[in-house]
Amino acid sequence: MPKWFNSAVLVCGVMFAISPLVIAQAPYESTMGLVQKVFYYHMPSAWIFLTASVVCGIASARFLATGKSRHDRTALAAAEMAVLFGLVTLVTGPLWARKAWGTWWVWDARITSSLVGWMIAWAYLILRQYGGPGSEKLAAGLALFGMANVPFIYVSVNYWRTIHPATTVVPKLPFSMGFPLLFCLAAFYLLMFLLMKLRVRVAEQQARLDAIYLSLDEQA
Amino acid sequence: MLRVIAVTVVIVSGFGQSVVDQTVALSAQEQPKQQEVFTPIDQLPPQEQLPAAPLLVGAYVFVLLTLFGYMFMMSRRMTVIQREVDRLDNDMKRSGRS
Repeated sequence: MPKWFNSAVLVCGVMFAISPLVIAQAPYESTMGLVQKVFYYHMPSAWIFLTASVVCGIASARFLATGKSRHDRTALAAAEMAVLFGLVTLVTGPLWARKAWGTWWVWDARITSSLVGWMIAWAYLILRQYGGPGSEKLAAGLALFGMANVPFIYVSVNYWRTIHPATTVVPKLPFSMGFPLLFCLAAFYLLMFLLMKLRVRVAEQQARLDAIYLSLDEQA
Repeated sequence: MLRVIAVTVVIVSGFGQSVVDQTVALSAQEQPKQQEVFTPIDQLPPQEQLPAAPLLVGAYVFVLLTLFGYMFMMSRRMTVIQREVDRLDNDMKRSGRS
């Protein structure tokens, strides 16, 4: 790994360690109170989930166009990020909703389309794992559908009837709530970048290992 | 002179209007409702009785455990691959000697 990697891991670790202190400084929201503080981890993980789905889609499109395996490895790493942070989003959301809305789950456009996006990312990984030879191209096609779902997830709260907060909430946040959100967002994006870097590295080593096995088989 | 009177009337009428507006605004403000009875918390609707702290702590613990779990899984994958590379290296060296 590059030299800066360990320093970036340290910075990320420190940011996550002090994030509860930064979040504690944010004022309580007037109607939801304490439970609204789930927002500071829920929203960054949701953004990472959407970003990872887009990265997976773009890398898959580039893989389909050029056939270069490095794009495929990037898409695979991004799909894992989408599954990981999608899971975080879909679990922290209901924990917040139970208190704020009085229910764990509602089948509205935002939450349902997020679940569909998360399942597409899962389907990508399952296809890669068990699809056999050539599955990377099928999975790449699936990733394009995952990416197409992202704008729908984002705007769904503005067009359909839902109790999920609208997209206008974030730009209108006061500084006292906006700063902790930006801090957590930076920590989550840094974490996503580092995990993706690590995952791509694992995929590269695996590819190298497979190549060695192949050459040994040919020699034998 | 007429101009002075006219200006005075305008100023006074404007002041008067603002006083009227303020009075209306003050009377429109609702005073806090007088409490007539004390209600124990267990008689509130279920949603309002629900404590927020366990849900909040649960959410944060879940996030951290999931992220640590993934990092642990990743480090195991790397270790397994590294071990396999080392084994292959040793095998190739051995076969090279023989």
